[in-house]
Amino acid sequence: MKNKLFVLLSLLMLASLALAACGGAATEAPAPEEPAAPAPVEPAAPAPTEVPPMPEFVAEKLEAPGGNCDYGGTIKSIEAVDRYTVKFTFCAPEPAFVAKVAVEAFDIYDADYLKETGGDAVAMNENPVGTGPYIVQEWVRGDHITFVPNPDYYGKAPANSTFILKWNKEGAARLLDLQAGNVSGIAEVTVDDIPTIEADPNLKLEPRKVNNFVYLGINNTKPPFDNEKVRQAFAMLINKQAIVDDFYAPGSVPATQFVPAGVKPGFTDGYVDTTYDMAKGVEMLKAEGFDFEKEYTLSYAERTRPYFPQPTKIAQAVQAQLAEAGIKIKLEMEEWATYLPATRAGEKELFFLGWSEDYPDATNWYDVFLTGSSAAFGNPFPDIVDLIKKGATSGDPVARQGYYDEVNKLYAQHVPAIVIAHGTVNLAFQAGVEGVVIGPYDENFALMKTADGTVVFSQDGEPVSLFCGDETDGNSFRACGLIFSSLYNFSTTSIPEPDLAEECVGNADASEWTCTLRQGVVFSNGATFDANDVVASFSAGLDYNYPLRKGNTGSYQYFKDFFGPKVMNQPAE
Amino acid sequence: MIQFLIRRLFLILPVLVGILLVTFTITRLVPGDPCYVMLGERATESTCNDFKARFGLDKSIPEQFGRYVLNLLKGDFGNSLKDRRPITTVIAERLPMTFELTFFAMIFSSTFGILLGVISALNRNSIIDTLTMLGANMGVSMPVFWLGLLLAYVFALVLKDTPFQLPPSGRLSSGISMAPLTKVWGIQDATGVKAFGLSFLSNSAILNGLLTSNYKLFFDALKHLILPAVAVGTISLSVIARMTRSALLDVLGQDFIRTARAKGLRYSVVIRRHALRNALIPIVTIIGLQTGGLLSGAVLTETIFSLPGVGSKMVEAILGRDYPVVQGFSVVIALIFVFTNLIVDASYAYLDPRVRVK
Repeated sequence: MKNKLFVLLSLLMLASLALAACGGAATEAPAPEEPAAPAPVEPAAPAPTEVPPMPEFVAEKLEAPGGNCDYGGTIKSIEAVDRYTVKFTFCAPEPAFVAKVAVEAFDIYDADYLKETGGDAVAMNENPVGTGPYIVQEWVRGDHITFVPNPDYYGKAPANSTFILKWNKEGAARLLDLQAGNVSGIAEVTVDDIPTIEADPNLKLEPRKVNNFVYLGINNTKPPFDNEKVRQAFAMLINKQAIVDDFYAPGSVPATQFVPAGVKPGFTDGYVDTTYDMAKGVEMLKAEGFDFEKEYTLSYAERTRPYFPQPTKIAQAVQAQLAEAGIKIKLEMEEWATYLPATRAGEKELFFLGWSEDYPDATNWYDVFLTGSSAAFGNPFPDIVDLIKKGATSGDPVARQGYYDEVNKLYAQHVPAIVIAHGTVNLAFQAGVEGVVIGPYDENFALMKTADGTVVFSQDGEPVSLFCGDETDGNSFRACGLIFSSLYNFSTTSIPEPDLAEECVGNADASEWTCTLRQGVVFSNGATFDANDVVASFSAGLDYNYPLRKGNTGSYQYFKDFFGPKVMNQPAE
Repeated sequence: MIQFLIRRLFLILPVLVGILLVTFTITRLVPGDPCYVMLGERATESTCNDFKARFGLDKSIPEQFGRYVLNLLKGDFGNSLKDRRPITTVIAERLPMTFELTFFAMIFSSTFGILLGVISALNRNSIIDTLTMLGANMGVSMPVFWLGLLLAYVFALVLKDTPFQLPPSGRLSSGISMAPLTKVWGIQDATGVKAFGLSFLSNSAILNGLLTSNYKLFFDALKHLILPAVAVGTISLSVIARMTRSALLDVLGQDFIRTARAKGLRYSVVIRRHALRNALIPIVTIIGLQTGGLLSGAVLTETIFSLPGVGSKMVEAILGRDYPVVQGFSVVIALIFVFTNLIVDASYAYLDPRVRVK
């Protein structure tokens, strides 16, 4: 009897599986069954004309302690001059201000909403309130986020009725999803998958012109790499073109300077990179008494990035190139969690790391790497640091370019690292998706159209949170870009365009920026956007004592990176 | 029997304490820094010191452990370092997916594994036996990520636009969602275990679909589980088939089988009632072990099919040095293993009267 029960149960389960296979297939193509209109959303805010008279505006101000920058940051004050004007005052010229505030980390939040949630990202994730083109309908953790158009959005209404953001860590699985028609587009196409996509008439490849690079870092405190001539010789022994040809996506190019072409001021036109010359490199090493018998360690992490698409193969290629010169290299592959802290602590002699640009300005390159922000390269070079600081605080583009031309010359002389390649990033879409434009930093998801009105995009990871003021990862930024707006944004170009600001105008030396804000903008909770929202959003990131500075990890790293290195009232170490 | 179960339940306590101590110590001793993982190239020493202070990671390991155990006694597993969400919430989100996957994978592997094992044993040294065991060996040898991608390729691409097309990844199709049961049933005051239970049920797409009569959700979830269940169940199927064959052959050679046949019992009755039942103990043991293993997370399968289960979360947490998540999930996995073994042990008594007598 009991055996029969087991058999019956098993048959039932099998039947349900079979039913799912057949019945499920019969109800395939769920998307068209879904209503094309936006799914139920939070009650729309009343139209601007119905808004009751606004309460009296009490202007807020964030001011650095002592009214100066002794705290270790660059911002002196942020002041709401009136309801729609905000003034940013710096202690030194800040020529890249507009580009910096276009980064997703500087989204603007409703001040009252920050108070309601205590500025806590966990609470904000439950019901994100922004001014962007979409609002969140649901976030099914681990699976997807569904966005529907924000009826109060001040810009052009989204061309699709639903946008779904999914994620899958595996590139091959993302491509399968695309080929099967389950998603409209995918991010981070792997180099191996490019031929498949190009050969499929139902798909299209969309390259992203983003500035990034991978470099072979050299720690100048580790002998024999404390010898400048040895570093220069190593630069001659790396055949960058061969590496790019063998391992990078089409469109990638060898790197020549510490900034990519197009970053102006910064990139030096007509600059001649160290030429690949094995004989000369070996000769220089011999002249310096380089020990060819010793084994040197080249470290890297198996962490695929557009600028480092095949880590192990690239490391092996460099190992082989150096072996041709008689140099013995041991490869050391480490897990990212241990590799990065050890590298930044200066424990590695030769290592691979890379970078993707946040905004198109030289400060996002030179200042990040060459000013001694970590011990990875060993000791910083004072002459380079001095010029970088001058370049970063000069409001005159011509003068800035002059400083950076000098930096580029000194880079070739000191060789703190050997820049290897700028990698092309590729996305792929169904051929039928209309209106796809891929910018250097963003995608125009709101303007993409599909036959059923639903755009599904798969990226390589789940957003950490939907409060991007305290996030640093691209997957979170992509989601935040759909819900929130900043003073400026990059849209689909590398030129910052006014968004919540109608314009931000700098004074003569770019140390003071006055932003005129867009009027009539409402948040998705119905609150009206004004200058105090800007002050509150920046205060959360810039003032350690601000009561609403909770965020996620509480790091607010972009605020420190762009306007730091310290924030106001930050406790001493 | 009840005494036996109670004794075994009490034995869980030292096991749990051991698991807590070991996982806590190991996670802290493994080199790496959660702050650097989260902030990447942007991380600075100053920021990371701040980070550690905020999450209490700057305290001594014994102090951290003491605080952790005290909180655990209050039912607080702590919060994730990555997104600061309560671990219990994350468990309630992830565990249902793994339960569903394990359930269907084990149904698939047990049914076909036992069937193939019996067929193989009854046709010993025949071509059927050879082919069945060859298939079983291939099943054991195939890497699950390869099999997963192959199945996804065949059923999503080769069979595209046919009734047999199946989704290559994800848990639900676009546009299909799971409504929280608290919302559907209008429950507003759920806290503690009740809230956990409701959240667990809400996050089980299969149960949610059944409980809310949302059959579209039910069938869609089931459809998404077929390929992963087959991929992850294939290895178990092969192991079970081989074990069934060997156990059945062992029993078939024993005297009581000959006696049963001599008594004039039909061959099928002898196999079903006498041989197979006596061969079931090692088979149940292996099914129990496989179930426990799958419940602790089918990492590769969950990754390939993008399923939000325990395994993928554990790997993510380990790589990200998200200590509270690793610890919380380790405790849950240990409990799952202990209870699975308990059920297996209890099933011995059901299957073998001699165990009951002892």
